[in-house]
Amino acid sequence: MQNRPSGFGNPWLQLALSVACVLVSEFLLKRGATEVANTDSAWSWTGVNGLASPLVWWAILLIIASFISWLYVLRYIPITIAFPLSRIVDILVPLGCWIFLGELISPLRWCGIALVVFGLALVAKPIAQIEERL
Amino acid sequence: MSFLAFFLIVVSLVSFVAAQLILKRAMEATTSTGFRNAQFVSKVTGGVILMTISFFLTLGLLQRFDLSYLYPFQGLSVIFITLMAAVVLKEKLSVRLTIGALLISAGIVLVSLS
Repeated sequence: MQNRPSGFGNPWLQLALSVACVLVSEFLLKRGATEVANTDSAWSWTGVNGLASPLVWWAILLIIASFISWLYVLRYIPITIAFPLSRIVDILVPLGCWIFLGELISPLRWCGIALVVFGLALVAKPIAQIEERL
Repeated sequence: MSFLAFFLIVVSLVSFVAAQLILKRAMEATTSTGFRNAQFVSKVTGGVILMTISFFLTLGLLQRFDLSYLYPFQGLSVIFITLMAAVVLKEKLSVRLTIGALLISAGIVLVSLS
Protein backbone atom coordinates (compact mmCIF):
# COMPACT_ATOMS: atom_id res chain seq x y z
CA MET A 1 0.00 0.00 0.00
CA GLN A 2 1.45 3.35 -1.00
CA ASN A 3 1.54 6.70 0.74
CA ARG A 4 -1.99 7.96 0.55
CA PRO A 5 -3.73 11.31 0.69
CA SER A 6 -5.74 12.13 3.82
CA GLY A 7 -9.10 13.90 4.32
CA PHE A 8 -11.64 13.43 1.53
CA GLY A 9 -8.91 11.79 -0.53
CA ASN A 10 -8.46 9.05 2.05
CA PRO A 11 -9.01 5.77 0.13
CA TRP A 12 -10.79 4.17 3.12
CA LEU A 13 -13.29 7.04 3.14
CA GLN A 14 -13.72 6.61 -0.62
CA LEU A 15 -14.30 2.89 -0.09
CA ALA A 16 -17.08 3.73 2.40
CA LEU A 17 -18.62 6.21 -0.06
CA SER A 18 -18.45 3.65 -2.84
CA VAL A 19 -20.24 1.08 -0.63
CA ALA A 20 -22.93 3.62 0.35
CA CYS A 21 -23.65 4.44 -3.31
CA VAL A 22 -23.85 0.74 -4.23
CA LEU A 23 -26.20 0.10 -1.29
CA VAL A 24 -28.72 2.73 -2.40
CA SER A 25 -28.38 1.80 -6.09
CA GLU A 26 -29.24 -1.87 -5.37
CA PHE A 27 -32.64 -0.86 -3.95
CA LEU A 28 -33.27 1.59 -6.80
CA LEU A 29 -32.31 -0.98 -9.46
CA LYS A 30 -34.59 -3.67 -8.08
CA ARG A 31 -37.55 -1.28 -7.80
CA GLY A 32 -36.85 0.24 -11.21
CA ALA A 33 -36.38 -3.12 -12.95
CA THR A 34 -39.57 -4.51 -11.41
CA GLU A 35 -41.51 -1.35 -12.29
CA VAL A 36 -40.91 -1.71 -16.03
CA ALA A 37 -40.54 -5.50 -16.23
CA ASN A 38 -41.80 -6.93 -19.51
CA THR A 39 -40.65 -10.53 -19.59
CA ASP A 40 -42.54 -11.23 -22.84
CA SER A 41 -40.03 -9.19 -24.82
CA ALA A 42 -36.94 -11.11 -26.03
CA TRP A 43 -34.85 -7.95 -25.53
CA SER A 44 -35.72 -7.84 -21.84
CA TRP A 45 -32.92 -10.37 -21.20
CA THR A 46 -30.48 -7.60 -22.04
CA GLY A 47 -31.98 -5.33 -19.37
CA VAL A 48 -32.08 -2.39 -21.80
CA ASN A 49 -35.82 -1.86 -21.26
CA GLY A 50 -34.98 -1.11 -17.61
CA LEU A 51 -33.80 2.29 -18.84
CA ALA A 52 -37.47 3.29 -19.12
CA SER A 53 -37.55 3.68 -15.33
CA PRO A 54 -36.30 6.95 -13.77
CA LEU A 55 -35.23 4.95 -10.72
CA VAL A 56 -32.82 2.98 -12.91
CA TRP A 57 -31.30 6.28 -14.11
CA TRP A 58 -30.81 7.45 -10.51
CA ALA A 59 -29.21 4.10 -9.79
CA ILE A 60 -26.90 4.56 -12.80
CA LEU A 61 -25.80 7.98 -11.47
CA LEU A 62 -24.98 6.41 -8.10
CA ILE A 63 -23.16 3.55 -9.81
CA ILE A 64 -21.02 6.05 -11.74
CA ALA A 65 -20.21 7.90 -8.48
CA SER A 66 -19.40 4.59 -6.81
CA PHE A 67 -17.26 3.59 -9.79
CA ILE A 68 -15.16 6.78 -9.59
CA SER A 69 -14.60 6.24 -5.86
CA TRP A 70 -13.77 2.61 -6.53
CA LEU A 71 -11.15 3.49 -9.16
CA TYR A 72 -9.56 5.78 -6.59
CA VAL A 73 -9.59 2.96 -4.03
CA LEU A 74 -7.93 0.58 -6.51
CA ARG A 75 -5.09 3.04 -6.94
CA TYR A 76 -4.08 2.72 -3.29
CA ILE A 77 -5.45 -0.49 -1.76
CA PRO A 78 -4.76 -4.10 -2.91
CA ILE A 79 -7.88 -5.58 -4.50
CA THR A 80 -7.54 -8.71 -2.34
CA ILE A 81 -8.37 -6.45 0.63
CA ALA A 82 -10.57 -3.77 -0.95
CA PHE A 83 -12.99 -6.06 -2.79
CA PRO A 84 -13.88 -8.40 0.12
CA LEU A 85 -14.34 -5.31 2.34
CA SER A 86 -16.64 -3.72 -0.24
CA ARG A 87 -18.97 -6.72 0.12
CA ILE A 88 -20.08 -5.37 3.51
CA VAL A 89 -22.89 -4.06 1.33
CA ASP A 90 -24.26 -7.63 1.24
CA ILE A 91 -25.09 -7.52 4.92
CA LEU A 92 -26.07 -3.84 4.94
CA VAL A 93 -28.93 -4.58 2.50
CA PRO A 94 -30.73 -7.10 4.76
CA LEU A 95 -29.85 -5.08 7.88
CA GLY A 96 -31.29 -1.97 6.19
CA CYS A 97 -34.48 -3.88 5.38
CA TRP A 98 -34.67 -5.02 9.02
CA ILE A 99 -34.02 -1.60 10.58
CA PHE A 100 -35.88 0.70 8.17
CA LEU A 101 -38.54 -1.54 6.61
CA GLY A 102 -39.26 -3.74 9.63
CA GLU A 103 -38.61 -6.94 7.65
CA LEU A 104 -37.82 -10.05 9.64
CA ILE A 105 -34.40 -11.69 9.44
CA SER A 106 -34.47 -15.49 9.72
CA PRO A 107 -31.98 -17.34 11.98
CA LEU A 108 -30.21 -18.68 8.87
CA ARG A 109 -29.81 -15.14 7.55
CA TRP A 110 -28.38 -14.02 10.90
CA CYS A 111 -25.86 -16.87 10.59
CA GLY A 112 -24.93 -15.59 7.13
CA ILE A 113 -24.50 -12.05 8.46
CA ALA A 114 -22.31 -13.40 11.27
CA LEU A 115 -20.12 -15.28 8.76
CA VAL A 116 -19.67 -12.13 6.66
CA VAL A 117 -18.77 -10.13 9.78
CA PHE A 118 -16.15 -12.74 10.80
CA GLY A 119 -14.79 -12.76 7.26
CA LEU A 120 -14.58 -8.96 7.19
CA ALA A 121 -12.79 -8.99 10.55
CA LEU A 122 -10.21 -11.44 9.17
CA VAL A 123 -9.66 -9.36 6.04
CA ALA A 124 -9.52 -6.09 7.98
CA LYS A 125 -6.98 -7.28 10.56
CA PRO A 126 -3.91 -6.89 8.30
CA ILE A 127 -5.06 -3.35 7.49
CA ALA A 128 -4.76 -2.31 11.13
CA GLN A 129 -1.21 -3.71 11.17
CA ILE A 130 -0.31 -1.89 7.94
CA GLU A 131 -1.76 1.38 9.26
CA GLU A 132 0.23 1.03 12.48
CA ARG A 133 3.46 0.74 10.52
CA LEU A 134 2.75 3.89 8.51
CA MET B 1 -33.59 -21.92 -14.12
CA SER B 2 -33.03 -22.33 -17.84
CA PHE B 3 -29.65 -22.95 -19.44
CA LEU B 4 -29.82 -19.46 -20.97
CA ALA B 5 -30.32 -17.85 -17.54
CA PHE B 6 -27.41 -19.84 -16.06
CA PHE B 7 -25.21 -18.94 -19.03
CA LEU B 8 -26.03 -15.23 -18.66
CA ILE B 9 -25.31 -15.34 -14.91
CA VAL B 10 -21.89 -16.89 -15.64
CA VAL B 11 -21.14 -14.33 -18.40
CA SER B 12 -22.14 -11.51 -16.06
CA LEU B 13 -19.90 -12.87 -13.28
CA VAL B 14 -16.89 -13.46 -15.56
CA SER B 15 -17.26 -9.98 -17.11
CA PHE B 16 -17.38 -8.41 -13.65
CA VAL B 17 -14.30 -10.27 -12.36
CA ALA B 18 -12.28 -9.53 -15.52
CA ALA B 19 -13.29 -5.85 -15.36
CA GLN B 20 -12.06 -5.51 -11.76
CA LEU B 21 -8.68 -7.03 -12.58
CA ILE B 22 -8.21 -4.85 -15.66
CA LEU B 23 -9.19 -1.70 -13.75
CA LYS B 24 -6.79 -2.54 -10.94
CA ARG B 25 -3.99 -2.90 -13.50
CA ALA B 26 -4.97 0.42 -15.07
CA MET B 27 -5.01 2.29 -11.75
CA GLU B 28 -1.73 0.75 -10.60
CA ALA B 29 -0.07 2.01 -13.76
CA THR B 30 -1.18 5.60 -13.04
CA THR B 31 1.14 5.81 -10.03
CA SER B 32 4.17 5.70 -12.33
CA THR B 33 2.94 6.86 -15.74
CA GLY B 34 0.03 9.16 -14.84
CA PHE B 35 -3.38 9.28 -16.50
CA ARG B 36 -2.40 10.61 -19.92
CA ASN B 37 -1.22 7.53 -21.73
CA ALA B 38 -2.83 5.18 -24.23
CA GLN B 39 -2.38 2.08 -22.08
CA PHE B 40 -4.34 3.59 -19.17
CA VAL B 41 -7.16 4.78 -21.44
CA SER B 42 -7.46 1.43 -23.24
CA LYS B 43 -7.51 -0.56 -20.00
CA VAL B 44 -10.10 1.67 -18.35
CA THR B 45 -12.21 1.57 -21.52
CA GLY B 46 -12.00 -2.24 -21.58
CA GLY B 47 -12.92 -2.42 -17.88
CA VAL B 48 -15.87 -0.06 -18.33
CA ILE B 49 -17.16 -2.06 -21.34
CA LEU B 50 -16.98 -5.32 -19.38
CA MET B 51 -18.72 -3.74 -16.37
CA THR B 52 -21.43 -2.35 -18.65
CA ILE B 53 -22.04 -5.82 -20.11
CA SER B 54 -22.25 -7.25 -16.60
CA PHE B 55 -24.58 -4.42 -15.50
CA PHE B 56 -27.13 -4.87 -18.29
CA LEU B 57 -27.10 -8.65 -17.98
CA THR B 58 -27.79 -8.27 -14.25
CA LEU B 59 -30.60 -5.81 -14.99
CA GLY B 60 -32.14 -8.32 -17.42
CA LEU B 61 -31.83 -11.12 -14.86
CA LEU B 62 -33.38 -8.92 -12.13
CA GLN B 63 -36.52 -8.67 -14.24
CA ARG B 64 -36.94 -12.43 -14.00
CA PHE B 65 -35.47 -13.38 -10.66
CA ASP B 66 -35.50 -11.96 -7.14
CA LEU B 67 -32.47 -10.05 -5.97
CA SER B 68 -32.08 -12.63 -3.20
CA TYR B 69 -31.90 -15.39 -5.82
CA LEU B 70 -29.14 -13.70 -7.81
CA TYR B 71 -27.09 -12.63 -4.80
CA PRO B 72 -25.36 -15.99 -4.16
CA PHE B 73 -23.75 -15.67 -7.58
CA GLN B 74 -22.53 -12.17 -6.72
CA GLY B 75 -21.12 -13.64 -3.52
CA LEU B 76 -18.91 -15.94 -5.58
CA SER B 77 -17.22 -12.89 -7.06
CA VAL B 78 -15.38 -12.38 -3.74
CA ILE B 79 -13.62 -15.73 -4.06
CA PHE B 80 -12.95 -15.36 -7.78
CA ILE B 81 -11.53 -11.84 -7.53
CA THR B 82 -9.37 -12.69 -4.52
CA LEU B 83 -7.91 -15.77 -6.21
CA MET B 84 -7.50 -14.14 -9.62
CA ALA B 85 -5.83 -11.09 -8.07
CA ALA B 86 -3.26 -13.42 -6.50
CA VAL B 87 -2.71 -15.32 -9.77
CA VAL B 88 -2.94 -12.53 -12.35
CA LEU B 89 -1.88 -9.45 -10.39
CA LYS B 90 0.55 -11.32 -8.11
CA GLU B 91 -0.99 -9.75 -5.02
CA LYS B 92 0.02 -11.31 -1.73
CA LEU B 93 -2.64 -13.74 -0.56
CA SER B 94 -2.31 -14.89 3.05
CA VAL B 95 -4.21 -17.74 4.66
CA ARG B 96 -6.09 -15.14 6.71
CA LEU B 97 -7.26 -13.30 3.59
CA THR B 98 -8.28 -16.54 1.89
CA ILE B 99 -10.32 -17.70 4.89
CA GLY B 100 -11.81 -14.22 5.20
CA ALA B 101 -12.88 -14.23 1.53
CA LEU B 102 -14.36 -17.74 1.88
CA LEU B 103 -16.33 -16.75 5.00
CA ILE B 104 -17.66 -13.62 3.29
CA SER B 105 -18.74 -15.63 0.25
CA ALA B 106 -20.37 -18.34 2.39
CA GLY B 107 -22.10 -15.64 4.44
CA ILE B 108 -23.46 -13.90 1.35
CA VAL B 109 -24.84 -17.22 0.07
CA LEU B 110 -26.53 -17.92 3.43
CA VAL B 111 -27.97 -14.41 3.63
CA SER B 112 -29.51 -14.72 0.19
CA LEU B 113 -30.73 -18.31 0.53
CA SER B 114 -32.60 -17.82 3.79
